[in-house]
Amino acid sequence: MSSKGKSGASSAKGRKPRAGGGGGESKSEDVLQAVVLADSFQDRYRPFSIEKPRCLLPLANTPLIEYTFEFLAMNGVSEVYIYCGAHTEQVEDYVSRSRWSTASRSCPFSVVQFVRVSDARSIGDVLRDMDKRSLVDGDFLLVHGDVVSNLVLDKVLAAHRKRREESAANIMTMVLRSGGPGSHGTKTNAITPVFTIDSRNKRCLHYEEITPLQSDHYLTLDPAITDELSTDFEVRADLIDAQVDICTPDVLALWSESFDYDLPRRNFLHGVLKDWELNGKMIYAEVLEEGYAARASNLQMYDSVSSDVIDGWTAPFVPHKNTSSHGSYTLYDGALSMEDGAFSAPDAVVTRSIVARGTTIGKGCRINNCIIGKDCQIGDNVVLEDCYLWNDVTIGANSVVKQSILADTSMVGKNCSVTEGCLFSFGVQISDDITLSKGTVLSTINASSEPVAKDTQLLGPNANAARFVDVCYETEDEDYDDEDPSRLQKSLLYNIADLNLSQSSISTLSSEIDDDSDSDAGGFAADAASSRSRLSSFASDDSNRGGAFHSDAVHGILDALRGGSGDFDAAKLEFMGLRLANDASDLMMRKAVATAFARRAAELLTPEYGSLEPSKAAEKALKTRKGATKFIEEVGIGGEEAEQVEYILFTQRTLFHVKDPRAGTILAALLQQLYAEDVLEEEGILGWWADERAEESEGLKGLKEKCRVLVEWLENADEEESSEEEED
Amino acid sequence: MPSAVPGFAPTLDSYLRSLKGHAHLDLTIQSLVDLLKRRQISGPEDCALATANCLRQVVAKSKWTDADTLLANVSRAGSKLMRARPNELVIGNIVRRVLGLIRDEATEDRNDGAPSETPSEGQMTPIGEMSQSFHSSAPTEAPRRPGPVGAASSANIPRSLSMLLSAKDVADNEGTISPFGNSGTSTPLHRTTNSQVHALRSEVINGIQEIIDEMGQVDDQIAAHAEVQIRPGDHILVYHPSPTVQRFILRAAQKRKFTLLIHCMPQPRGATGHDNYRALRDKLKSQGVQSIVMTTGGGMSYMSRVNKMIIGASAITANGGVVSENFSTIVAAAAKHHRVPIVVLAGVYKLSPECPYTQETAVEFADPMQHVDFSDGSLVHAVEVKAGLTAFLPANLIDTYITNLGTHTWEHLSGLISDHYAEEDVNLHLKAPQDA
Repeated sequence: MSSKGKSGASSAKGRKPRAGGGGGESKSEDVLQAVVLADSFQDRYRPFSIEKPRCLLPLANTPLIEYTFEFLAMNGVSEVYIYCGAHTEQVEDYVSRSRWSTASRSCPFSVVQFVRVSDARSIGDVLRDMDKRSLVDGDFLLVHGDVVSNLVLDKVLAAHRKRREESAANIMTMVLRSGGPGSHGTKTNAITPVFTIDSRNKRCLHYEEITPLQSDHYLTLDPAITDELSTDFEVRADLIDAQVDICTPDVLALWSESFDYDLPRRNFLHGVLKDWELNGKMIYAEVLEEGYAARASNLQMYDSVSSDVIDGWTAPFVPHKNTSSHGSYTLYDGALSMEDGAFSAPDAVVTRSIVARGTTIGKGCRINNCIIGKDCQIGDNVVLEDCYLWNDVTIGANSVVKQSILADTSMVGKNCSVTEGCLFSFGVQISDDITLSKGTVLSTINASSEPVAKDTQLLGPNANAARFVDVCYETEDEDYDDEDPSRLQKSLLYNIADLNLSQSSISTLSSEIDDDSDSDAGGFAADAASSRSRLSSFASDDSNRGGAFHSDAVHGILDALRGGSGDFDAAKLEFMGLRLANDASDLMMRKAVATAFARRAAELLTPEYGSLEPSKAAEKALKTRKGATKFIEEVGIGGEEAEQVEYILFTQRTLFHVKDPRAGTILAALLQQLYAEDVLEEEGILGWWADERAEESEGLKGLKEKCRVLVEWLENADEEESSEEEED
Repeated sequence: MPSAVPGFAPTLDSYLRSLKGHAHLDLTIQSLVDLLKRRQISGPEDCALATANCLRQVVAKSKWTDADTLLANVSRAGSKLMRARPNELVIGNIVRRVLGLIRDEATEDRNDGAPSETPSEGQMTPIGEMSQSFHSSAPTEAPRRPGPVGAASSANIPRSLSMLLSAKDVADNEGTISPFGNSGTSTPLHRTTNSQVHALRSEVINGIQEIIDEMGQVDDQIAAHAEVQIRPGDHILVYHPSPTVQRFILRAAQKRKFTLLIHCMPQPRGATGHDNYRALRDKLKSQGVQSIVMTTGGGMSYMSRVNKMIIGASAITANGGVVSENFSTIVAAAAKHHRVPIVVLAGVYKLSPECPYTQETAVEFADPMQHVDFSDGSLVHAVEVKAGLTAFLPANLIDTYITNLGTHTWEHLSGLISDHYAEEDVNLHLKAPQDA
């Protein structure tokens, strides 16, 4: 296995291109092969991907797959195997008519072969099938059909080859791009890959994905990593992972061994690294500091990568360098690339944009940060901000479109206002004078490709489309759960503001409880009013499920408490149902009940609910509804001293986040009321007083201090064996 | 330039090696177009070398039975290459040189009395007008010249001139030229016989080889003028010296004791710029020549002591402007202010009959990644990075041009251009066919 050899490019060119189809024949060492996964088995590009495969969607007016081919060609790949999945015919048709087809004499590849896998449901299925066919027999690049990269892999390939010669167990090298500390537009939102890499030999030791939806923001590393594998390793969450992997055929064999792996990273990489003792394989990660690599894996990344293309980070794959075979763009000041044959009115202001041929921009337009495809008609005085217009889009005069994607042949009428995050699928038309709210997704067909009934009420008389509803998640997919971070990647706008997020961290336990990050004084009222709560992570074992349960339960009880008088039994029944449905533990219920009552008491202090005095508020919260105290006793506490202590702790922590100066007073008042109702017993309160969890932070301590009077009175009463005196 | 790791990514080397194989001609052309577009071949020297090699393949492999078809083939391939990198003027220069070569050889082979059917231009102007009117700086204005006798003879002069200066023995090639004027066969082009095609093919291929050889010798030939230009005790200013300039300086250092001021801009992204010239400085030191490295504005304070500024050109445009390193315009302007003579070094193959630039535009822009770290997320989507890679020096800044043919002033350039390029090919870049 000598690393000496002719360059792949020369050997590729030295051969007549031959028709694809020859599998299994032995290939010389110096041929680089690539497997392109042009279907990612995701639906993050919906509704566009219903009609057209993701890899043919245009990014900066060039179909995504062109970037993949250019990347492969620039790295001297000579044999390409493409798996298309959905819309295979469209991709095959496109490629066969492009210069990348081996039929065209200028194709740099010697083999371009489509791999059809029947009933593949995941990337894992495809790769397992590739293993069976043994199409690849040497080192190969595994890339996705949506990768945009200008990395030159020679050094990485050489390092990979050297490692592989040292040991056959070194099966794979991942190529990653460092993204620096801090936020970066080109890092994926919602799912942050975390790689643990040995600093010396670059071996990847652990892989995990973290999301803002998970409650415990920490990783669990195998102790063996420190004990046996490495003395010097880095845990990096800053990497941009374009999922460019250099693999040996052993990787495919490993996929075959593990029949349940679906995703190359979350399943395969994580699993292989975890079971390193069993499989004995080693995977390496090369972190590059130069070059560009990213996947347009969802609409948000599409937005980021497009932005990188406008700014020229992907050079030479930028329009004005005209790398793609058709194109004659010129770069003007203000990062504007215009193709020959694009017309812009003299008084139109176009900045930081890419405009393709045949497009006409009307008078007085203001266009910033947009990518406009071929033959678009943009009327007079149109304002476009951060938009993606594909081909043949028409925008009527005086319309305003912001941060939206308008697919081929879509049409916006005059005087329309299209706000952020709107998606227009192919051929969507809307009438004049229409205003669309944020994140409206329009399509002429539904998820199962059937024409939809026109929504003329929303879109005006000339409309031919309706809101697109992704039925997939509502009916078919049973595994769908609220916590899937990929759902955050489904819209063009990355928005976590209205989601239930926990802010837990390893260092501060106080933030483990309901943490309203709104620090302004009015934040609490607004928060309660908008029915917003955050995940808890008190019990990190069942935190995911618990989070949903907790917020539902708290809202249920709060609504019942706000509901005025009447018996509390209905609310109790509902609560117990919720509990059964979620299989919630006693602890979670206790927390929910404590949180709900403490919130209710706290919100009664606010002007909205009558600005009651703390003691009145506590009384009202507990006594308005008949049976509420009983509910607390039976459901909320349901036990002796230990449970009561926990209940008070939860109440205390809830109030700690209330940000009201009277929070301590209300805590004392609540305790007193519950004591008077015999819900809490002396031992419980005193137990809480002694518990050190009650003074973990300054804030908690402050709340606790307010109850000193109550506790001292209880202690005295205890000594005197009498508790008849009134206090306050 | 042997790379340490044998890689898969195509380079100039691997491209030249691939030409020895039996790849289809379309692939040969398209691969070069790709390499040029992706900047995997860059720099005027490499681009010119690759272009000449590619065109040799076109001559050798494309189907043609007469010179007109060959001219069409070459200009079609050539304009593809030119469009791949419109700012690399040498590509166009090489294409035009090859076209001119074909015209010359074809004219020699046929009856000198018969008017040639040039594939492009039917416009005829008197020959005499050419030599005077061609001083016009705008080549589009220049009158066109017909193919026959005059063209052949005037095109022959520079060839022999260059041969006189070139170290290579070109005796056999002279032999193919000399039949000029003595043939009585009035064979029209389209009826060229097989053997004539064969002869033309080998003549043209030889001619291209000559151009390639010329490119290899350019630096040496330019360096031969070093002793004349650099005198003892001089202070010589160079700005980011190119290999040509370095060779020139080192040659001078063998005979002369002078002081070299190396002016560099701080390299982007923390790379140490002056270390690039460590080897040059060590060699100079061993010859006893002092060298000083300056960055940014430091150069200006030395300017009053500088006797001469030497600039390596990526290209010389028809009007005498020079494409060179970014910021060299500023340094040159400062030198001009101090009345420092500015000398430009360039092989004659870098002299272009086009002049597409004005002073205002940087010729090519650098990738933003060279200047800003992509992992700095706060900058990446917030700033537009626009940094020139090459700059245009207008002709009024430049005093002397040194090519492999000798030392020239601005007035000589138009003569050089008309010597090297056939009139029909000057506007090649304007009539690029729009075929896919």
